Amino acid sequence: MKCKKCGGKAVINMRQHNMGLCKDDFLQWLPEQMLKHIEKQKMFTPDEKILVAVSGGKDSLALWDMLQILGYQADGLYIALGIDEGISYSSESQRLTEEFAKARDLNLHVVNMTSDYGIDLPTLAKETKRGRDKPCSSCGLVKRHEMNRIARDFGYDVLATGHNLDDEAATLFSNTLQWNGDYLIRQHPVLAERDGLARKVKPLFRFYEREMAAYTLLRGIEYIYDECPFAEGSTSTQYKELLNQLEHEHPGAKIHFFTKFLSAKKKGLFAEPTTEIVPELHICPSCGQPTSALELCTFCRMMEKSK
Amino acid sequence: MKKTSTIILRDKKYEVKAGSTLRVALRRLEILPESVICVREGELITEDNIIKEGETIKLVSVISGG
Ligand code: SF4
Ligand SMILES: [Zn+2]
Ligand SMILES: [Zn+2]
Repeated sequence: MKCKKCGGKAVINMRQHNMGLCKDDFLQWLPEQMLKHIEKQKMFTPDEKILVAVSGGKDSLALWDMLQILGYQADGLYIALGIDEGISYSSESQRLTEEFAKARDLNLHVVNMTSDYGIDLPTLAKETKRGRDKPCSSCGLVKRHEMNRIARDFGYDVLATGHNLDDEAATLFSNTLQWNGDYLIRQHPVLAERDGLARKVKPLFRFYEREMAAYTLLRGIEYIYDECPFAEGSTSTQYKELLNQLEHEHPGAKIHFFTKFLSAKKKGLFAEPTTEIVPELHICPSCGQPTSALELCTFCRMMEKSK
Repeated sequence: MKKTSTIILRDKKYEVKAGSTLRVALRRLEILPESVICVREGELITEDNIIKEGETIKLVSVISGG
């Protein structure tokens, strides 16, 4: 297959765009496209300070890499969860993230559950009995809380995560199967700053997971290839596989599913709830983050319970 | 005698016939090209490439969960 731009040998075929690209053209095209969507969606400007949530996986490292290439001011945040069951998942992903930052002289914040809170994530999930056999709901809660905390404490304007199109399409699929209106209303690549929480953006939302893997390989970025041991057999992985089957038969199915959802929403498919239903927010007396609870927020209650 | 060609995905090895395209080989193995990247001697290649005799193609899985 030939590169659509220069006629050289293509390294990737993107059937949804009807386009194959060679290494050099692909490595130029991807950050250019990202810039286009950052500007179109008004995610952030070059003057703003960005905090990138990095996991050591391909998406977040590629995101951080492209933000550097494009000249944005982006620091990283790694949250060490202490998931080292069998394979050294957390310690290895931390090592790769730290090496990435060091080699490029980037600023990386590290939050460590065990040393900062005295408990690792699997133990926390077990002791507070959240989410039966998987710690994923506690994990999501911890990540959200800590990202908001670091963004606020260090004055970042915006929080960027490495969610790609496959992540977003799988989430949309799941929320649609359950007609989860609250989540459908909120699912968007840009969430405005609200109640003192930083703006949240997903600059990779137009890219297939496959393109992100190709980018990291072509750039020679070392990332954690093994999945989190708790991700095995997760519904999001099942949905991704289903959507890929659909994509195989109908190239572009995934990107249309998500982008048409965004445009339908823009045209008013989902109405915002009237103000009466929006819960009134209070300030958590322990951590200072907004919460709908009258007392401690969910995170602080969970930490209390584990003591 | 013909040397066999190999496709590797994670810790699985598959023997495949040389002379057909990767697309055909992947279909026979029931692997969706959407979920992998094909690597030949460290270089990324597209699925229209023809498998050479005796070579090993590594597949990189692109789906990550969580
Ligand atoms: S699968 Fe994801 S959400 Fe669940 S524990 Fe692992 S990293 Fe956290
Ligand atoms: Zn080219
Ligand atoms: Zn709190």
